[in-house]
Amino acid sequence: MPSPNAVLIISFLLFSTGVAGILIRRNALVILMCAELMLNAANLNFIAFARHSGSVGGQAFALMVMGFAAAEVAVGLAIVVALYRRKATVQVDDINLLKG
Amino acid sequence: MENLLISLAQNLFPIFGLLAVGGAALMVASRQAVHSVLGFLFAMLCVAGCFLTLEAEFLGIAQLLVYAGGIVVLFLFVVMLVELTKYKEKDIFQKQTKVALLAVAGGLLVVGGALRNALFGPAAKEALTLRPEITNGAVLGNAQAVSRGLFADFLLPFEILSIILLVALVGAVVLAKTERV
Repeated sequence: MPSPNAVLIISFLLFSTGVAGILIRRNALVILMCAELMLNAANLNFIAFARHSGSVGGQAFALMVMGFAAAEVAVGLAIVVALYRRKATVQVDDINLLKG
Repeated sequence: MENLLISLAQNLFPIFGLLAVGGAALMVASRQAVHSVLGFLFAMLCVAGCFLTLEAEFLGIAQLLVYAGGIVVLFLFVVMLVELTKYKEKDIFQKQTKVALLAVAGGLLVVGGALRNALFGPAAKEALTLRPEITNGAVLGNAQAVSRGLFADFLLPFEILSIILLVALVGAVVLAKTERV
């Protein structure tokens, strides 16, 4: 059986990889994938702590987080496609409509 | 050989977890978007393996179905739909990459230092407790236990989630459709 610190360290590493990817990449698709990765790291913690505390609520909530992630990715990819149609780019630093 | 297999079987969680981190690093660092999607797929498969080693069988299978079966295919479709080849010569990283990486490393150090008792203390070394169905006396399947939690204790959030999914479905269709049709 894995110990809690193994789970915490792995999910910590996954989450920080996601944060780093969101901060450094230009491609909007990769940024969306990094957001998914962060949600997965949170799910890992949910499941480990549900196991640790002996309740099943954490697993049920992890399933809900998965549903939210699916909704998020559907809307995010639709935004990317609409953006590509209008501006012919998916690089986030080419999109500066709000810049004064 | 046998000892190696036994030690591998005892350390499945760290193996899957480190492979997942490797897939995530491949996703962040690769130049081609398709390679990024493949790294993402690999990371998701390894996270599903982590769920299985934590004895959350239903969630492991759900992770395989939702991510490997649905989301990765959706990402691949959009990668094929969008012309990415013209950015090949451009730098794939933002200008602030060094600062951002330093900030993330600093955050790792600070949070890891603040939580070092929780992460590395003696209490964290004990193995996780047994699954709740066994400790409660009644042996149920994992799917049965999860569905009991989902439909009895968390019914309202579940219904809210279904409405959110419906809104996201309609919103995605409205956002992605062309204006001429």
